[in-house]
Amino acid sequence: MSTLAEIEQAIESLLLQPPYGVDPQHRHSALLALFKKELAYACEQNPRFRNYVEQWPIDFCLADKISDLPYLPVGVFKTSPPLALVGADDVKRTLSSSATTGQVPSRVVLDAATARRMAKGVITIIRDFIGPARRPYLVIDTPENLAARAEMGARGAAIQALGSFATEVVSCLRPGHEGDSSVDLEKLLACAAKWKDSDVLVYGFTYVIWTNLVQPLQRQGITLDVPNVRVLHSGGWKRLHEQAVTREVFTRGVASIFGCSPDRVIDYYGMVENVGVIYPDCDHGNKHVPAFADVIVRDPLTLAPVKAGQRGLIQVCSVLPTSFPGFLLLTEDMAEVIDYDECPCGRRGISFRFAGRAPKAEVRGCGNLENTRYQQSQGVGVA
Amino acid sequence: MTVLIQPIESPQKIAGAARHLREVARQKQIAPHAVLEVFDRWAAALGDRELHDVPGVTFLRLWLRRGNLEPVLLRELGPSPVNGAWREDGRARLRAFPLGVVGHWPAGNVEIQPVLSLTCALLGGNGCLVRVPSRLVQITAQVMEKLQEVDRTGLLTERIFMASFDHSRMDLQEAMAQSVDGAMIWGGAEAVSQVRGLPFPHWARVVVFGPRLSAAAMDAETWGNKTDRSSWCRRIARDVWQFDQQACSSPQTLFLERGAGCDPAEFVEDLKQAFQEENRQHPRQQIEPALTSAISLARASWLLGNDKNRALFPASPDWTILLGTGTEMPNPTQGRTLSVLLVDDLLEVVSKFDGTLQTLGLGIKDARKEEMLALTAGRSGVDRIVKLGRMHVFGSPWDGTELIRPMVRLVRHVPSED
Repeated sequence: MSTLAEIEQAIESLLLQPPYGVDPQHRHSALLALFKKELAYACEQNPRFRNYVEQWPIDFCLADKISDLPYLPVGVFKTSPPLALVGADDVKRTLSSSATTGQVPSRVVLDAATARRMAKGVITIIRDFIGPARRPYLVIDTPENLAARAEMGARGAAIQALGSFATEVVSCLRPGHEGDSSVDLEKLLACAAKWKDSDVLVYGFTYVIWTNLVQPLQRQGITLDVPNVRVLHSGGWKRLHEQAVTREVFTRGVASIFGCSPDRVIDYYGMVENVGVIYPDCDHGNKHVPAFADVIVRDPLTLAPVKAGQRGLIQVCSVLPTSFPGFLLLTEDMAEVIDYDECPCGRRGISFRFAGRAPKAEVRGCGNLENTRYQQSQGVGVA
Repeated sequence: MTVLIQPIESPQKIAGAARHLREVARQKQIAPHAVLEVFDRWAAALGDRELHDVPGVTFLRLWLRRGNLEPVLLRELGPSPVNGAWREDGRARLRAFPLGVVGHWPAGNVEIQPVLSLTCALLGGNGCLVRVPSRLVQITAQVMEKLQEVDRTGLLTERIFMASFDHSRMDLQEAMAQSVDGAMIWGGAEAVSQVRGLPFPHWARVVVFGPRLSAAAMDAETWGNKTDRSSWCRRIARDVWQFDQQACSSPQTLFLERGAGCDPAEFVEDLKQAFQEENRQHPRQQIEPALTSAISLARASWLLGNDKNRALFPASPDWTILLGTGTEMPNPTQGRTLSVLLVDDLLEVVSKFDGTLQTLGLGIKDARKEEMLALTAGRSGVDRIVKLGRMHVFGSPWDGTELIRPMVRLVRHVPSED
């Protein structure tokens, strides 16, 4: 059996396990062994990645902790062409992150097997939170984000990932002339009337739900009365925090629009580089990690894992990708570790809470240049 | 008036403080030698044990000594003005007078910079209005308390007003700019551009220091010499560690000229040991998470960018050595991350510098080669060329500019009768 086939078999077996029921020690052993195989495989596929791994201060073959394995910062996926372990012919889809204005988006390449596992990973996780049943799927976005394409953004990928739970899919925003969008009220009210007593799945980016659905409907005094809805949202809080909209205000606002209880509104953390793994909030407000993944929160001062109750940079770990080296990634986001096991919700392993993007360094010292003089004269910025 | 730093909320407070300082500067003239006497006492007081761990205080003590500052005054103002007297200039006489009130906008990354900046203007007899960056308030207060102790008559302290306010308070920034006759501005591109754009009076003299980058260079005879190499590596480590590699004088790249029989792998191994030792002596107490991310990205980008590149680093973000080739300075990370680049010819490298580069730290065995490098560096916009290990030693001129003279008026008197 080839190395890749062995890896794929091991991944499949992890995907079949109950996502949050595995004993943390047992899970750690299984993941450590598989990550080592994946690292060795990635080194064979990409000499530059091998160079990185070889210069890592700890020999990964001898590591006895996942936290000692070589990890990449997510910023490396902002290069062009994207960092890959497969040839261009094998790339089925390229996902890009939702970079804010002026920023370079991350891009990751998926081959067919990785794309398939990505879908499986998300289904496994979401099933644990909302159950396995298919149901009507209301997308708080415009129709063009529903279609699967070779190049997809984070919003499209997130919408697509939940498609397996759908009996029918309806998008309720219509695009405006200036790149904005607005709610298609007629369509939305028709869906609400039709699905009144059904289980319904709703998904949208957090700020899209707020600005394009909750605020306009609140202004018009409209509620939808779909109490059996499950509203999933992701994409971060930066824009809402700028508008002083707290998590509680958001959740209450969404629940009041749909006429459901607030615990039916579920925030999840995810990123395109961490394909197939998302981190929904449990009933206790904590995030958990499925059997095929791990999260390490590292102290920025030492990069060592923090203790429960401490904050640090999030490292996401996933065995799912084999088309790009996205197994072990240090993000630019912060989290607080709540505990390393025994969340009251019953899910095993680490529980954590997202604590926002790492703030930009504030000191703008005498060595802080935006452009060299040559670059300025040429109209070129420092990357 | 207390010299301790005052949180400021109103523009009127700044304007009032400036009026007072201007009045003091006009009414009570002070000669440089009198300033030097207080500085000497201040330097001694800064030797107290409680200040040992304050970054930069050791250097500040050396800076304040008469033996250090007298030569600077002599060069910038000439012999007699040190005593506050006229000096002959052919048939005329020259004498330095203060501008009035000098505003100081120090950078937030050099702990003692508010104090260094104000000492330059005090030597010219000026009043000083200093905006202390929030991160430096505590350290600056500790240092200024020592001045208060030794300056019992208030000779200097009555000429100083230190203000603390958020950099985004444009009303306060504008009030400060409108109140001064001269300005010393230090810092990064964004900060400097913002301060330069403030509404200074048309007569105000504005001197800007920064932002700049710095680099180091060694010839093969120096870095290939196994006997002296460790000592040179310690010097480099010291230059990298001070100010956490975020100062304009911090080396970001070290260029090594190739030489027969010289093994760069051996050199970076020695450099690694020097970095480890420096880190043991001066470990970071804190770090911005964004800098940790930047360091991780610098390591990965370097190694993923070219499979011939090498890197040495610990599991922590404490330090990083990136080894490769190339004649261009990579984008700096400024987190104790030094790029070490092998080159065929240092002259080629130095001739490519633009005015971005402030300090070139050198380790060159051949004096004639160093002479050529210094000349080429000067032509290419470099303002300081110093021995490795001394890259941060603050002195005049800085950034190609004198430190005291720009903040005085040189008055020329041609006697009416021969």
